[in-house]
Amino acid sequence: MNFLGSMNLAVTLLVMLSIASVIGTVLQQNQSFQDYIIKFGPFWTEVFNSLGLFHVYGAAWFILVLVFLLLSTSVCVVRNGPGFIKDMKQFSEKLSPTALKHQPNQTTLETNISAEDQQKIVSVVMQKHGYKTKIHQRDDGSVTIAGLKGKWNRLGYIFTHVSIIIICFGGLLDSNLLLKYRELTGNLLPETRTVSLDQVNQKSWVGPENLSFRGTVNIAENQKSDVLFLPYENGYLVQKLPFTIVNKDFRIQYYDTGMPKNYESDLELYIPGQEEPIRQTIEVNKPLYYENYAIYQSSFGDGGTELKINVYPLLSPMVNPLALETAVNKVEPLKTPVGRFRVEFNDFRNFNMVPLSEEEQKETGHKFHNNGPTVTFKVRNEQGKAWEYENYVIPNEQEGRWFFMTGVRNSPAEPYRYLFIPADAKRSKNRFFNYLAILNDPQKVRRIFQQQYPMAEGMDQRTYQLQMRLIEQLMTLFRQTGFAGISDFVKKSVPEAEQAKVSDYYFTQTTFALQSAYLELLKEEGVIKSHQEDIPDFDKTWFEDALTVVSSLSKYGPPMYFDITSFREIQATGLQITKSPGKDVVYFGSALLTIGVFFMFYVRQRRLWINIKPENERLELTLAGKDNKNLPEAKTEFDKIVEQIQNISKQA
Amino acid sequence: MQTQTIMDSLQEEEKRPYGIKDFIWIAFVILGSVYSYMQYGSLMDVYEVGILAGTAVAMIWLGRFWPSLMQMTYWVAGMTLVALWSYHNHGNVITANEQAFFLKFLVSSQSAIMWMSALFVLATATYFFALINKSQFTAKTATTLVWAGVVFGLVGMMVRWRESYIINVDYGHIPVSSLYEVFILFIVLTGLIYLYYEQKYKTRALGGFVMLVISSAVAFLLWYHFDRGAHEIQPLVPALKSYWMKIHVPANFIGYGAFSIAAMIGIAYLLTNRSLQKNPNSSFAAKMPSLEMMDDLMYKVISLGFAFFTIATILGAMWAAEAWGGYWSWDPKETWALIVWLNYAAWLHIRMSKGWRGTPMAWWAFIGLLITTFAFLGVNMFLSGLHSYGEL
Ligand code: HEM
Repeated sequence: MNFLGSMNLAVTLLVMLSIASVIGTVLQQNQSFQDYIIKFGPFWTEVFNSLGLFHVYGAAWFILVLVFLLLSTSVCVVRNGPGFIKDMKQFSEKLSPTALKHQPNQTTLETNISAEDQQKIVSVVMQKHGYKTKIHQRDDGSVTIAGLKGKWNRLGYIFTHVSIIIICFGGLLDSNLLLKYRELTGNLLPETRTVSLDQVNQKSWVGPENLSFRGTVNIAENQKSDVLFLPYENGYLVQKLPFTIVNKDFRIQYYDTGMPKNYESDLELYIPGQEEPIRQTIEVNKPLYYENYAIYQSSFGDGGTELKINVYPLLSPMVNPLALETAVNKVEPLKTPVGRFRVEFNDFRNFNMVPLSEEEQKETGHKFHNNGPTVTFKVRNEQGKAWEYENYVIPNEQEGRWFFMTGVRNSPAEPYRYLFIPADAKRSKNRFFNYLAILNDPQKVRRIFQQQYPMAEGMDQRTYQLQMRLIEQLMTLFRQTGFAGISDFVKKSVPEAEQAKVSDYYFTQTTFALQSAYLELLKEEGVIKSHQEDIPDFDKTWFEDALTVVSSLSKYGPPMYFDITSFREIQATGLQITKSPGKDVVYFGSALLTIGVFFMFYVRQRRLWINIKPENERLELTLAGKDNKNLPEAKTEFDKIVEQIQNISKQA
Repeated sequence: MQTQTIMDSLQEEEKRPYGIKDFIWIAFVILGSVYSYMQYGSLMDVYEVGILAGTAVAMIWLGRFWPSLMQMTYWVAGMTLVALWSYHNHGNVITANEQAFFLKFLVSSQSAIMWMSALFVLATATYFFALINKSQFTAKTATTLVWAGVVFGLVGMMVRWRESYIINVDYGHIPVSSLYEVFILFIVLTGLIYLYYEQKYKTRALGGFVMLVISSAVAFLLWYHFDRGAHEIQPLVPALKSYWMKIHVPANFIGYGAFSIAAMIGIAYLLTNRSLQKNPNSSFAAKMPSLEMMDDLMYKVISLGFAFFTIATILGAMWAAEAWGGYWSWDPKETWALIVWLNYAAWLHIRMSKGWRGTPMAWWAFIGLLITTFAFLGVNMFLSGLHSYGEL
């Protein structure tokens, strides 16, 4: 008992708690086991894990330290409390004159006024200084006036230390002790897989009897939920709620930087047995409280935005996109001539803000520009290899031209590599796909080429045929590997001495072929009437931009382009829901703590004794003072009182 | 003898009576609050109106408690009004701070903060100079420099508050919400708390030591400004948009400021103690306050810090409950606040129970500053968590 209530133990516990807390912040908590192994190696991971260092604040020994602190403080209060309360009330007026002489501040005076007057002077001065007084008549004829001031200091001690007990208790109420107990007895097992609700392990469900919890759930617009996901050790638990939440609407506002400014949800809470739901809009910092539950706006995400998509085959000689109706979070199987794929639609973002350069800022008066909506998705082939894409829905202007951007990467660690598909005069991709379809048909290119460059006079038929064959082959090569592929081909298959010449020739031929195919397209479109006509500037740059894209298509992954033709955004609100019966307990304790700390620091308990003893026609005064904290000002104040009594007694 | 006569003779020693100055002060605070309410009331929610009223009451009380604050406030108010008026005259555009004379050289938030920085660095040197030369006059100059630094710091904050709205109404917020902004708050509050004790204990010898912490903060602030461009006013993330911030953050920084001062007094104590041990007649020790006084001051300052840190941590928990859905999440910032708090609780207990005084407590106070600094800065630099302001 003595040990439990000792200050040594208290300080040791405070220090232990601090060290444990340090560990908890330096070692990242609640990460996946895999991450720890990568960081610390298997040996240390095992050691740390068995010490509970990955979940310090839930570890048994940590709880034990807390419990001991609670015990120690309780014992301390129980031991010191009664004494302190007594101390608050008693004036110790019977303290002997000898004892008075042993107080921290003491002195003696002599006066020659009447004992009655002297007593009055002493009492008034003491009261003026805020002391409560008590008079004690002694057997030796002397009188002791005992004063007491600032007894709330003692109350401060009690408040502070009781409040620690209350706060710890409140904290324990809100801890997951019940779940821990169930886990130990084998009735609870966290779910570690990402599966749909009906497949979640029965042992991972927790009913509304759970005393306290804190978890999250995402609800799409116009959807509802009556469960919550609680993170637990290396997995999660599913908490059944005693009500159903409907997300009627979710709204988000942005700053001009694209950063979210505020978000809010219109919620409806359907409670069994009540006809009318509770309707309330919640936002960040403005939760909904219902009984013991609090529902917070904590995050947001996509709730399954509906997408209409045209999948363009990139190697087909015909423009025949496949129409797809899908949504974010869905997975679509695709059967194509180049194999089977699975497409996972991961996310939709309505805004993509990019900072503008200083010049652009001056021009537009804005600091940021919205590049418009994007869809991110993954295409996975049968071997499991995946490509990740980010496609912009609308074209963006760059140096006066409009492009549809599409980014691709092979792993989330890489940045996206972007293709800029040039928009045609109508800001659409039609021309690009029409052109691509022609290029995908080398025989057609050859025919077009033949039309534009008929056999020259004097040329022999065989040479011409060879040239046409070459055109066809170059087109095939170009479509498969781009300009870089043609260079590579020359390097590999032509003797070094000839390379420069051959390469030159091949590039000229390829360019002629590409141009003639383009001219043909322009004619079809009606932009030009004959192949000899000058092409407008717009169409010239378009051609260059398009070739850049086509030349890089070989590195774009599976030959498909996902064109988002329309979308209907559906957002999801991220709610955090807590049941926290200990919260008010903790708040009450906190209030007590605050008051207690101020009492303890800013109210000093002070005692004053003045013994008046008649001695040969004169009065002998013994003055003594004691402060429960021996601070320098105690002496100054004592001296001042002595001085005042002395002065007034002289005047009298 | 009559009770009344005794009372009368005591009366002479009564406290300072209410004078004309006090009434002017009260009128000034009330008028100022009403003006702010009329001007900006439409932007406030009910809690913020409450905070405004609470601030007015606290100001009235503070003016009485520490009269020097009155004069300081008049200066701050005057200079802030010049800035607001100047912006107003230039059509309330932010670029006015490059054209209007007053704004450009004196009272735009950036100029004021630069003035503040210079003044504090100058004050540090002046205090030490005064200590070496035993010059009372120089020491008084140093005190004036600190007051001026505090005034400029406060003006910088007030004007920055307004500027955030001028840049974009959406961005508007009280400037205690980024690491850059709270550093200014730290500098100003530490300066003020120091000035209070300087006046109360009638010694200027500790000034240089305390100003060392402030100068370090100034150095960080300048680095943060010029290297990281942290002075640019950014919009707030939604979680920070709360009236809680207006009380949680200042309470916290009274704590940080007090703990820093205690640590520097600790250092002064250790140096004095060492030179006394080497030579009881050391001339350095003769210039310093007595060891007992420094020990007492350390205790007082830590008590003040502890009390406010307690409140701040509780307010933080209440805010966290509203913003993140839990009053305690063992987020690194929270946890380190707890560590700081436990550390000083242990300090107070040991002093109380074991009666430890002097050297060990001075060392402990200094180590306390290291812990506090980590909680303040280190957490943002090295650990990740929910506290989203100011990553380095
Ligand atoms: C987290 C736990 C605790 C906190 C935060 C705390 C806080 C405090 C504070 C701030 C003081 C005032 C010190 C001063 O006036 O300078 C104090 C005093 C004291 N504490 Fe604690 N305390 C805690 C636990 C304990 C425990 C476990 C004990 C039992 C040994 C204890 C016994 C005392 C005593 C006896 C005093 C002196 C009261 C007096 O004489 O005025 N405290 N405590």
